[in-house]
Parts: sequence; structure tokens; C-alpha cells
Amino acid sequence: MDRPAPQGGPDPATPILEMRDLDKRFTGTHALKSINLAFVAGEIHAIVGENGAGKSTLIKLLTGVYPKTSGEIFWKGQRVDLDGPHDALALGINAVHQEVVLCPHLTVAANLFLGNENTRYGLLQSRAMVRSAREVLDGLGFSVPADVVLSTLTIGQQQLVATARASLRGTRFLIFDEPTSYLTRRETAQLFALIRRLKSEGVTIVYISHRLEEVFELADRVSVLRDGQLISTHRVDEIDEQGLIRAMSNRSIEQIYYKEAIPTGPLLLEVQGFSGDGFEDISLSVHRGEIVGLYGLVGAGRSEFVESLFGRFPHSAGTLRWEGHEITVRNERDAIKRGLALLPESRRTQGLCLNLSLSLNVNLAIYERLSRFITIKRAAETAAADRQIKDLHIVAPSRSTLVASLSGGNQQKVVVGKWLNHGADLFLFDEPTVGVDVGTKLEIYRLLAKLLRDGAGIIMVSSYLPEVYELSDVLHVFRHKQLVASYQHKEASMEAILTQAIGV
Amino acid sequence: MSDTVNKAQARINILLSLTLLILLLLIWAILSVVTPSFATANNFVNLMRQASLWAIIAIGETFVIITTGIDLAVGAVVGFAGVIVAMLLKAGVSIWASVLITLAVGVAIGAFHGFGVLKLGLPPFIMTLATLTALHGIGLLMTNGSTISGLPDAFTDFSREAFLGIPSLFWMVILVAIPSYVYLHLSRWGRHLFAVGSNAEAARLSGVNVSTTIYTAYILSSLLAAFAGILTASRLSMGLATNGTGWELQAIASTVIGGTSLFGAIGSVPGPLLGAILLTTINNGGTLLNVNSFWQLIITGGLIIVIVYFDQLRRRR
Repeated sequence: MDRPAPQGGPDPATPILEMRDLDKRFTGTHALKSINLAFVAGEIHAIVGENGAGKSTLIKLLTGVYPKTSGEIFWKGQRVDLDGPHDALALGINAVHQEVVLCPHLTVAANLFLGNENTRYGLLQSRAMVRSAREVLDGLGFSVPADVVLSTLTIGQQQLVATARASLRGTRFLIFDEPTSYLTRRETAQLFALIRRLKSEGVTIVYISHRLEEVFELADRVSVLRDGQLISTHRVDEIDEQGLIRAMSNRSIEQIYYKEAIPTGPLLLEVQGFSGDGFEDISLSVHRGEIVGLYGLVGAGRSEFVESLFGRFPHSAGTLRWEGHEITVRNERDAIKRGLALLPESRRTQGLCLNLSLSLNVNLAIYERLSRFITIKRAAETAAADRQIKDLHIVAPSRSTLVASLSGGNQQKVVVGKWLNHGADLFLFDEPTVGVDVGTKLEIYRLLAKLLRDGAGIIMVSSYLPEVYELSDVLHVFRHKQLVASYQHKEASMEAILTQAIGV
Repeated sequence: MSDTVNKAQARINILLSLTLLILLLLIWAILSVVTPSFATANNFVNLMRQASLWAIIAIGETFVIITTGIDLAVGAVVGFAGVIVAMLLKAGVSIWASVLITLAVGVAIGAFHGFGVLKLGLPPFIMTLATLTALHGIGLLMTNGSTISGLPDAFTDFSREAFLGIPSLFWMVILVAIPSYVYLHLSRWGRHLFAVGSNAEAARLSGVNVSTTIYTAYILSSLLAAFAGILTASRLSMGLATNGTGWELQAIASTVIGGTSLFGAIGSVPGPLLGAILLTTINNGGTLLNVNSFWQLIITGGLIIVIVYFDQLRRRR
């Protein structure tokens, strides 16, 4: 799979870091499948792939954040075990993450030298540190002040500080994870200049990005990941953007989807010109018996949009019509009364009370209904919990088991069960199958079909293209906060849809 | 297989939750043997009276701690409510009206705590620390730092009376504990309280009115503290702004000994009751055994660490 490096470029004979049959499993998911890849010393190697293709997992294995399940990592030909970030740092492996991981309350200089402070007799030499920080930043060509508190800078500038920090301490191998997501054009140019400079100093760069134009501008080679597998590695002068997108989206049909032919019912919700924090001018409609899929890259504004529909965040413009009547949704309780249900993206932080019982979690939305006067009808409470445990095949020792001890799939079923108990006309599913095993996925798909048969409408946000592709009656593509394209069921190829989402 | 393991574990958990009661009974048994005066009706009534006041504020404190908050102002509310009720009585207001007005003041203080925490976004620790200090000041200002005595006999006799052999103050605990139990363990509002303490975001997205729930917790805490303040004024036959100083710590200790988690979402009504009785017993027993009162403080501190440590062990299983 490796091809010779460009003439006069890095020496292919000595891979600085090599992965052999590297494998990573989480409960329920096989995140990386037997990766074989060698990085050549001094190259810029881009890694592309859809959301969930395994890019982040790969970084975390290489920086020692996650332990590998099996396989081997070689550093300059020596087999190494990365038992923690410390081991990776000691070798000279460092990463700049998408979100800044620094101390926002400290100054730029203090952040740059955190853990490596300049002291004399145990006292901090603050002025000297600011001076050398300024030298470092100027030397890198970054226009960032050294003596201000980090949190007063823009996210983009903070990203540059993080990069400067990573490049400081004898780094030989530097991984960038979507570094330009929050950068302005000028900051991007400064960053690229730094990356090229590091390369000229012999540092190996792994560059992860959705933005294919950056890959072609910067990289020597590019590898494509899809569903945890390494699909191919190319020299950038041997492939074009369409070729990369094809490699990212081509799939053998190994996943099972379940969809019934359900006639579309009357119009349920009509959204006109909806704008808010993270999304602009979104118009779409949902009918009973229909799945409306929202696809896009992470950060395209889909979750923000559905959470605003649900009243979680305010919207700045636009109207909602429910069965033809204009409505306002001021908060979540309004939305629920109206007949909406949100199954949020993050089960653990938004969906579940982890240290409480299964029973309390599946009944949380319906305690009003389970009460007579002031007390809860215990028999009704247990019956409602047991019904969901039985119907959804939730595997749990008992209804009083704490939700935290359940598997990801069963936790997701608890969230679903909560809303089945409550009932709704319009279900907003945000990434319903993330971290869920294949069997549970199929159960969730069957459940969607059942909801549609019963006359509900569904909006489904998913970052996994085949899923929205196979299940949606109408598929909308979001890019940079906007709805950029709409397709009927399987009207276009996955390649065309991914092209819209990336915006080539 | 996992089912039997779980049942076994459930049985162990029940056993461990009984340990607090067993520990209490054990201490009582030992004290009855080693001191002649512990097991006397007189001493027991006295112990119950003191435990009553702490138990009432500890129950209110429990509600707040379940929401992951804390109410440091309960002790100050005890003193402040005592001043209010005493001043009203001295002004010739009827006993019932004085009590109701004082309880209303408690509700207002609790609502102010809720306002500070929810609307101003202050950490509960800071908000209630601020009112603790301020309420002390207001109470001292109103009374000029002096004691208000000469309260009506009908008011002061109440706390000395007993009904069916049980001190009336302890009846007041029952009066508080039963509706509290219904609220926390049998009603939907109790479920909502636990849900908000466990994950406010998930509760909100499930349609729980999070602010109402949190307001309720702070209001109940201050209401119960005001009630304890009225009873304290009756028991001591006076209103004094510095009554109840430091009781917030007794309340927090009682509820934590009773199994409430400071991380929220774990707590019960029987827990703080037992905790308050245990704390009072240690004080009472120490006095009867002629243990230096300074040593009593040290022993109390040590016991809190030991009991809560074992409680955490149980939860971690």
C-alpha cells in the first residue's frame, strides 16, 4: 500500500513510526480494524475520512491516551508500548487537538512553558519567560502577544499557542486534528507556514482534516480511513478530490438497515427561515410517516438546529407551523406538550440520570401521569418500567439497576423507552446509533419503522452517511450552518451527498 | 448468574444501610450500661428534644444537597426566625399569626436563595454564606444584640410538654418527617428532585421544570429552619439572633452521616433523622460520661470521617 515518497523528499527506508495490525475495540464497537501504516520521517501525511471513520481513535492510540487492543507500534524500528501520554511525549510524539487543551486563566507565556517553567532558586522568572515566549512566537511568525491571559485571545489564536507549545519541546512527530476549524484565513496561513517550517526541520506531521483543499495544499501523502479500516494511501499528485471522496464513501453493503414502505401522511411540522446560534435560514418540513434525515460534517449546525426546534436554545428568526398553525416553542416543556420528543446526541450528559435507577429514567417524563393526587402509583410506575424493559429487550438485572452500569446499547434503549412511555408526534433523533452494537442498531431501526406506522414523524440527525442514506425519505445536507442540498430517498449517490457536505 | 450476584449485593446493601441504626442502638445499649443516668426517662426526653431541632433542619438540608446544592444559612435562619417570632409575640400578635408570619419569612429567605442560585448564577455555597452573614447582622440590628424574653407562657410551655409520653418537640419531627417522606420518596416532585441532582440537563430535556424544583428545595430548607427557629425560641423561652449558630454544620453532618451524597442525587428522609439522633447521642453520652467537651468535638469529627468512609465503600461496590 505504501508507495515511494517523492523525489528528494523524505527517505522511505526509515519509517519513523509504523503501525502493524493495530486494533482497537470498545464495548459494542470495533473502532480500528488491523491498521498497517508507516509514516516516513519528515513527511506531511494527511488522514481523511468521514465522521466516525476512526481518525480520533487513531490519534489517541498514537498519543497514548487509549491503550491499543492488539497490534504493534514501532518507533524508529523499535517496538514501543505507549502506556500513557507521558510515554508518547518522551518519544517526541505530540498532538494539537481540535479543542484547545490549555489553561485559559494563565498567560500565553505560562501556558507555553507549563510544566517546564524557568525558575531561579525555585522562584518563577516571569519576565524572562515572557521574553522567551515572545521570541518563540515571533520566530514562528505568529502575531500573538505573550503576556496576556490566554482566554482573552480568539479561539484561533489559542490554537496557534497550542501549536507553538507542541512544537517546542523536542517534538519529532506532531499530529494535527482538524486544526483549522476555528481559524481565520490569516491564522490558517500562519499555521501552514509553521507546519512547513517544522517539516523543513525534519519533523513528521500527521494532518487530519475534512478540508480536502488543505490536504492537497499541504500534504505529501494522504491515507483514507473508512469504518475503522485503512482503505488506501496515495501520493497527493496521484489522486484528485473526487478520487478521495470516492474512497471515503465507497462501501460494500455490510451493514443491515431496516426500512418499511410506509405511506406519507399529512404535514406535521413546517419550518420556515429558522436561524439561531449555529444555523442560518433553515427551511424544511416533516410529514407523518416520514423520516427526514439531516446529514453533514460534525459542527455543520444540525444538532443546534434540532435542539432549537425543541426549545433548548432560542432562535433569532423564522417560524414554525404545526399541522398548519403557527406555534412558538419557548422551552423544552412547551415542545413536549406540543408533541415533540428529543433524543439528544449525548446520552451521558443530556439523556440519562446515570446514578439513578432504570425505572426512574424511563418514567422521568411521565411522573405527572403516574401520580394520583400527590403520590405516585407504585404499581403503575413498575408496570411502565417493566413494559419498556420487555418491549425494547433492555438487558438489566432489574428495574432498580443504576443506568450507569448498563451497556451503551441498553442505555440508548432507556432513552428511547422514556419517550415511548411518554409518546410524541414528532421524534427528533440526534445520532441514535452512536456507540451502539449492531444488534441494537437493527432494533432501533425497527423501532423507527414502528413509530412511523403509528403515525409519528421523525427527524434524524446522523453523521454516518449510509445510515441516513438508507433510512431517510428526505435527506437534507448541512454545511457551514446552512442547508445546502435536499434529496429524495436514494435520489443521488452517497458520493454526491458527501461532496455537498464537504463542499468541494 | 449476575442476577444472584446482584441479589446478594442487594442484601449486603440492606444490611449496611441498617448499620447506622444498629450503631445507634449499640451506643444506646453501652451508655445504658456504663452510665446510670442515660436510660432514664428524663435524659431520654432531653436527648429527643435536642435531636428534634437538628433533625428538622437536617431534613431540609437534605433536599438542597440532593440537588447538588448546599444551604449554609439554616443556622442563621434559626436565630433570625426566633427573633421575628419573639418580636411579634411581644408586640401582642397572636401565637398562631406570629408562627405563620415567621414561617412566611422562612419561605421568603428560601426563595431569595433560589433566586440567587438560579437567576444570579451564584454558587449555592456563596449565596447561602452571604445570607448567613447578613441574617446574623439583621437579627442583631433588630434586637440591638440583646435577648428578647418574657414570651407568653402558652408559647414557651409548648416545647416542655409531652403527648403520650413523647416530647412535643419530637412530635414536631414526626409532623415534618411524614410529609417530607411523602414529598421525597412517594411524589413526582421527589423523583424530579433526584433527577435534577443527577443530571439537570437530562431532567430539563425530559420536561422537568428544573428551576421550580430547585426553588422548592431551598424554600423547604429555609421553611424548616424557620420552624426549628420557632421551636428553639419556645424551648429557650427567648429570641436571640445568635441562636442556632453553627447548626448548619450539625445539619450537614447529620445528613451526610445519614447517607446523603454531597455530589447530589442520593439521600433519604430517615437518613438525616438517624444522623441527627446519633450526633445528639454522642454529645449527650459524652456529657454523661464526663468526657471533656473539647474531646467530644474531636470524637464527633472522627466519627463523621469513619461513617462516611464506610458509606462510600458501600456505594462503590
